[in-house]
Amino acid sequence: MSQSGKGRLNYRCPSCFMRDLDIDMFYDKDRDEYYCLRCQYTGNEKDVLEKNEMARFRYRNMLKRITTFD
Amino acid sequence: MGKFILNIIHRPEMVPEYAEKVTGQGKKEDISRKSLLTESLDIFRLQQKIAHDNGFKTTIQMTYASLFNEEAVALAKEHHEKYGDEISLTLLGLPCKEFREKYKTKDFCIWMFSMEDKKSIVTDVFEKFHQAFGFYPTSTGSYYLDAELTNYIKQQYPMVTCAVATCWEEGPKAYRTCNNSWYTLFDGGPWNPWIPSKQNTHSPAANEAEDSGIVAIPHLSRDLLACFDGNGSNFGTHPQNVLRGMIYKNGEYPYLYNLIDQYRSLAKYNNGYAYNMMFVGPGWMNKMGRWEAPYELLVKSYEDGMAYYAELRDKGEIEDMTMTEFACWYRANKTYTEPECALWKDILYGSEKQLFWYVDPYLRTCVDMNQGGALIDLRPYVSKLDWPVGIGTKHVQDASYPFLIQSMYRAGYFTHYAGEGTIKSCKVSYQGEEVDLCLCRTKARFSQEGKDRILTLDPVEIEFSDLTIKLVSTFTFTEGTGKIKISRKIIEMSNPDAVVHINEYTTACYGTTEYPEDMYGIILKCIGKNDVKEIVYKYKCREESVLNARKVEAVVPQIDTRLSMTPVVDGVEGYFREGYAFSPMFTLGLTKNISNNEEMITCLNLEKAD
Repeated sequence: MSQSGKGRLNYRCPSCFMRDLDIDMFYDKDRDEYYCLRCQYTGNEKDVLEKNEMARFRYRNMLKRITTFD
Repeated sequence: MGKFILNIIHRPEMVPEYAEKVTGQGKKEDISRKSLLTESLDIFRLQQKIAHDNGFKTTIQMTYASLFNEEAVALAKEHHEKYGDEISLTLLGLPCKEFREKYKTKDFCIWMFSMEDKKSIVTDVFEKFHQAFGFYPTSTGSYYLDAELTNYIKQQYPMVTCAVATCWEEGPKAYRTCNNSWYTLFDGGPWNPWIPSKQNTHSPAANEAEDSGIVAIPHLSRDLLACFDGNGSNFGTHPQNVLRGMIYKNGEYPYLYNLIDQYRSLAKYNNGYAYNMMFVGPGWMNKMGRWEAPYELLVKSYEDGMAYYAELRDKGEIEDMTMTEFACWYRANKTYTEPECALWKDILYGSEKQLFWYVDPYLRTCVDMNQGGALIDLRPYVSKLDWPVGIGTKHVQDASYPFLIQSMYRAGYFTHYAGEGTIKSCKVSYQGEEVDLCLCRTKARFSQEGKDRILTLDPVEIEFSDLTIKLVSTFTFTEGTGKIKISRKIIEMSNPDAVVHINEYTTACYGTTEYPEDMYGIILKCIGKNDVKEIVYKYKCREESVLNARKVEAVVPQIDTRLSMTPVVDGVEGYFREGYAFSPMFTLGLTKNISNNEEMITCLNLEKAD
């Protein structure tokens, strides 16, 4: 097994992102998975994207255009 | 006045932050790699084009590295001629072959060098700029400029009138987000432009004698709610910050526009003036993509952000200025003591939460309406702390202005096992039941009467088992005093003959991080009409009180600050409570019994202790 690299688009660990940590994951091409050096998260690109979607749960107004601020 | 002013700043950073680590992954470090330099300049050129295509002039902050690059210098000259861009100088972007050979270090944050090196670097950078352009810059900056450095720059290069001098709340939260590696520890400053004092950058000058001679602007305009709790680098007028925060879907990020618009709305609290700045380093528009976003989206977000500013400009709702133009405008239109106010609402999480931020030369504070008007942040600017930073000082990295209250770092309203957290609030009790206003969610409105900025909270209802009351809290900030007058008035009672007990309290400590500091030596005092009680802090959980209180106070010698509470009405009891090892806090309080249509008025005062 050769060394890991950064992989496409520098995916961050979604599990760490949810606790306000930005940690780039590394990509293991033999297993087609990203993994976090700090926590125990591993997942392929599809799983990362799904978990990133989950991380957005707290942004309830993410897509709302707000025009009044009183 | 009636102005929403925009500064757009670009820097040709030849070795952009992130870019070397990102594009160079798997290669030996080489900051003079040609592909890196070419890409950096291309990104700068693209940022300039986007701004110019939208009809904006920019401030070009030349980096030291870019001054060795003929193409970058020529580009700046050309854009100055053609578009009226200001050619400025930043102390960011120091790393380059020449810098490393001379200073023999990989340090790159100007505030963290020794004072001797700071002086030498300033001379090198300013003189190199002069060689390239034939004049000295009138604006400069970094992520943070400490007071000693600013004073030195101003002394050597008095033509400098404006500087980027801090990133709002870029402290322990940013450090932690970067897996405990981002040493920009400078919480506690203003979020909008200010005139820094000669003594401490965060603390605005109260008069001409304290004036550092520059107008400081923050690096980015940041979300005053999201950044207080979360990572500052996700919630600012920096489109790629918004991408970093994953606050977008299908290439849409209305949050960015909401943020710009909320800043625009702050004019109503500041005599018609509002401010915004956009300052994106080239590394954020890296061709490899960043924060899961492909290059195309990084660029699109920048184009969209700039186009939105242009739309506002075309409607006459924003005016772009260069940094030096802005400094001139600010000097002509603001006074030293005029506060900066922001009644800020949640525009992201859907909580309807509202915070009120206030800054003047004497204090910075935040009132949380979601906690019944509790003060959740308090910084004693009046102390104008002498706080040198950098190698050779006691604070090599920690440039934050210390807090007395910071509810995120020190618990706030207490919900855990044992102890207390820093907060200023009020408890109402009746026949053995007690309610803290921290649990009474409400909203507020702002008004201004002469020198007073007044925050009036909507009435809150407090239910005891056989009594219901309605109470209104009002906070009055009188310009130029360092005092906050707080009124708690009962406007309705289910039993008009009932009497309730009001306990106006402040639980505080001091610090700049989440971790406890040495509390030994803090003096706690109650001053009554006829007696004085005083102790020196020893973690012994002691309490004292006096009748007919004139004042309760804490002198915190570690931050040269005297925090006190004084009653504005008679018949008030005053107390202090010392903390203990598991609860390294102190509490000051004033109490009184009141009935229907009566009010308890107290003042929170901050003074320099020495």
